[in-house]
Amino acid sequence: MRKFFVILGLLAVASMVLAACQPQTVVQTVVVAGTPQVVTVEVVATPVPEVQAPTLRVNLGTYPDVIDPQKSSFVNEIATLKQIYQGLTTFNEKLETVPGSAAKWEYNADATQLTFTLKPDLKYSDGSPLNAARFEYALRRNIDPSTAGEYASITDEIMNAPEWRAADPNAADYNRDEWLAKLGVKASHADGTACTGYDDAACDTLTLNFSKPAPYFHTIMGIWVAYPAKQENIEAGGPNWWNSSLYQVGNGPFIMDVVEPFVRQHFVPNPNFGGAGIPSYDLEYRYIVDTAVAFEAFKNGELDMTPSAGEDFATIQADPTLSAEHMVYPGACTILIKFGLAAKYTDPSGKPYDSPFLDKKVREAFALAFDAEGWAHDVDSDLSVATWTWIPPGYPGYDTATPLKFDPEAAKAALAASSFGGPDKLNALGLKLTYGDSPRNKQRSEWLVQKYKDYLGVDIALDPVDATTFTALTKDPATFPLLARQGWCADYPDPQNWLSVYWRSDTTFAQREGYKNEQFDALTKEADTTTDSAKRLDLYKQAQQVLLADIPSAFGYNTLNHFLVQPWVKGISTTPQDSDWAGAMVPWTITVEAH
Amino acid sequence: MTTYLIRRLLWLIPVLLTVSLVTFIIMRNAPGGPWDTDPDRRQVDATTLKMLETYYGLDKPMWRQFMAYVIGDVNPKGAFVCGLVCGNMGPSYRQRGRTVQDILFSAPADQPFWDSRFGYSMRLGLSALIFAVVVGIPIGILSALKQNTFWDYAGMFVTTIGVSMPNFVMGIFLIIIFAVWLHWVNIIASTWTTPNAWILPALILGFGTTATTARQTRSAMLEVMRQDYIRTARAKGLAERVIIPRHMLKNALIPVVTILGPALAILVTGSFIIETMFGFPGMGRAYVMSISQRDYSMIMGTTLIYALLVALANLSVDIIYSFIDPRIRLDK
Repeated sequence: MRKFFVILGLLAVASMVLAACQPQTVVQTVVVAGTPQVVTVEVVATPVPEVQAPTLRVNLGTYPDVIDPQKSSFVNEIATLKQIYQGLTTFNEKLETVPGSAAKWEYNADATQLTFTLKPDLKYSDGSPLNAARFEYALRRNIDPSTAGEYASITDEIMNAPEWRAADPNAADYNRDEWLAKLGVKASHADGTACTGYDDAACDTLTLNFSKPAPYFHTIMGIWVAYPAKQENIEAGGPNWWNSSLYQVGNGPFIMDVVEPFVRQHFVPNPNFGGAGIPSYDLEYRYIVDTAVAFEAFKNGELDMTPSAGEDFATIQADPTLSAEHMVYPGACTILIKFGLAAKYTDPSGKPYDSPFLDKKVREAFALAFDAEGWAHDVDSDLSVATWTWIPPGYPGYDTATPLKFDPEAAKAALAASSFGGPDKLNALGLKLTYGDSPRNKQRSEWLVQKYKDYLGVDIALDPVDATTFTALTKDPATFPLLARQGWCADYPDPQNWLSVYWRSDTTFAQREGYKNEQFDALTKEADTTTDSAKRLDLYKQAQQVLLADIPSAFGYNTLNHFLVQPWVKGISTTPQDSDWAGAMVPWTITVEAH
Repeated sequence: MTTYLIRRLLWLIPVLLTVSLVTFIIMRNAPGGPWDTDPDRRQVDATTLKMLETYYGLDKPMWRQFMAYVIGDVNPKGAFVCGLVCGNMGPSYRQRGRTVQDILFSAPADQPFWDSRFGYSMRLGLSALIFAVVVGIPIGILSALKQNTFWDYAGMFVTTIGVSMPNFVMGIFLIIIFAVWLHWVNIIASTWTTPNAWILPALILGFGTTATTARQTRSAMLEVMRQDYIRTARAKGLAERVIIPRHMLKNALIPVVTILGPALAILVTGSFIIETMFGFPGMGRAYVMSISQRDYSMIMGTTLIYALLVALANLSVDIIYSFIDPRIRLDK
């Protein structure tokens, strides 16, 4: 009896399930034309398949620490921000600065004032208006000392920006409104009258006043510090506002749809994007740090794009399919073997000495003995490119002319002609190559010291330190390593960022190393303030030649961006700034085919 | 038992204080700071650095920073901010705007506590431990009962691999076998809400503990099997199916329990490699990253949590002893 009821119960359930699975029918009453007949028709509803947008699945590696335009600084943070937001300007495939949210911009005669005119009818992804007041807020927030953003100094050309940043917001006499009033950032109507708020559609003009000429500043306005995050969202979300898709409402090509911290971010196209095109696919970021696992996931079809690792390069090259899927293009960094110039060093007996690289002939010897092509091939598996110049290919100011090259015989001669007369006296100093300890860096450093031994007869000890310790050492002129592999990756595509920001003696980078060249300083100062763009470029070109001739470091190699990309991802247009993923700068050119 | 529990729990306070002090000293003596990032990119300028150091209290003397962390201190705005004694583990230096307790214990909106980073790590650790117990103990029992037979050799072969092979090597092998060749699971979990996604991570994480458990169980069983009381039980006519669970296993479990308690803590703390491989949103990776990033509050907070876990695990082991072996009295 018990079994009977069980079967009966199962039949009852099954019937209900089957009933639920019946196609829905609708009874319609149809009047047949010309007759009084009423016909009952059963209409069977046919389910319409939902059209799913294709998704581009990109592996970014490490999850971002903070996704806040005025606080972020890392590549993977910017990778998220630049899909959600767009600055006043942006960059095209050639890294030329082109209109972004601004339709046009104009400098005054001496480049101490820059006026942006926004495109009409700009909207955020939620349909709310985007006007100049939003960009005014973004820049103010970047400069506000309470924000303490890691890239806050990048807008220090703005009048009173460095002064405000240095003010103590906790001081009794601190008056924020006073600082805002005298800051060189003003949103207005076209006729100069004040805006009435964020809904003011006529508020389309943003005027920046600088404390010194800054004819490159329109390029800086393309980077993330000027992205217009909404003030009300930041305030509503509190300090952790950036961790929610609810508050990350932007004007970029995508809308942040889903955030699963440390797992994935999902984006959908923004139909209100005012840029050159609207992407035709969804974008999904995944965060797999282990390159071996990411490689397997790519081969298994679970990722559409992932950075390739040097360790997998041999496997990729040996496989015709993977080779065809491997995309390599110029990167944004130039790496050097840097010479410590300002610090005091100690020999094995503990006796202090000045840097031997203060002697230009020693610098020349080490520079000419650096086999950059051998490095690119042997150490980096051709995932870098040798260079004897500073600004990398693809960037404004790139110039192949250089007095430097790999010449071991000339290197030996230079060392012999130096104050040391040869390697012996140098060896007595106990030279060291300091590097951030990792298996890869150890391999690189061992290669380098062996080559210097082979070509110059110089003994260099390896000095591995923890990576963060390495950074700390290089930030202090007193502890800057005697020899260290270090470089520069561009913030924005302008020669000013490569030359003035990094090598001029009044900048922290040059001061840390102890480098100074008055001719270079004068040329870059003049170039920075020249409004004629052709003349400006020529001055930077001259400055670069002076720099190379002075040999502040052994040049070097340019990084390459290298990704594995599935064959169904088409239309990728890359720039050297696309170190996060291939095509990130202009994602609307990409299509993801069915597969 | 109650007195014993209270006494052990009270001992946690000086233990954790000592751990926090030692961690603080080591951490702050390590060169570099939270804003010493990629040397090939722009670094934080001096003005901003000063602002950040003031905000985080790094401009104060070391003793005051430690006291501020444990008890609390007045912030630059003049308000008192209570420290660890109030459950405040401090602000993260890298994940600006978030506190350590928020990062570790807060789940995304509308999600339960077990979807926090701590929750994920605990679930992964528990899954691995359950796997170790469910698989490791039976293997150990079988190997002991069938000593020097095929079953014993097979079991020890597998456990030797588990003990000697690092889990990141094991992980790649298992990924290739189960995901790439067999397509039974995905390498990358599309979501962590399905049990399917947890199989490989739990398996890889727990494999080493499974092997250790199996070997320990086997050794303990072999020792117990040779005891006089087992011979007596057999002489009295008791069936093997009664002798094994009631007389052998109960006594053999004591050394096994000894390792399983701390094993849970190790499984939770040792999940860094698994989290890195699978993009698993747990605590382990946050812990290791915080060290290289010099995220001081995160280092202190996660170290204290792990110390607490180990202490509680050891306490649990002691309590379980008293249930397994009635001769053990905890009160005296």
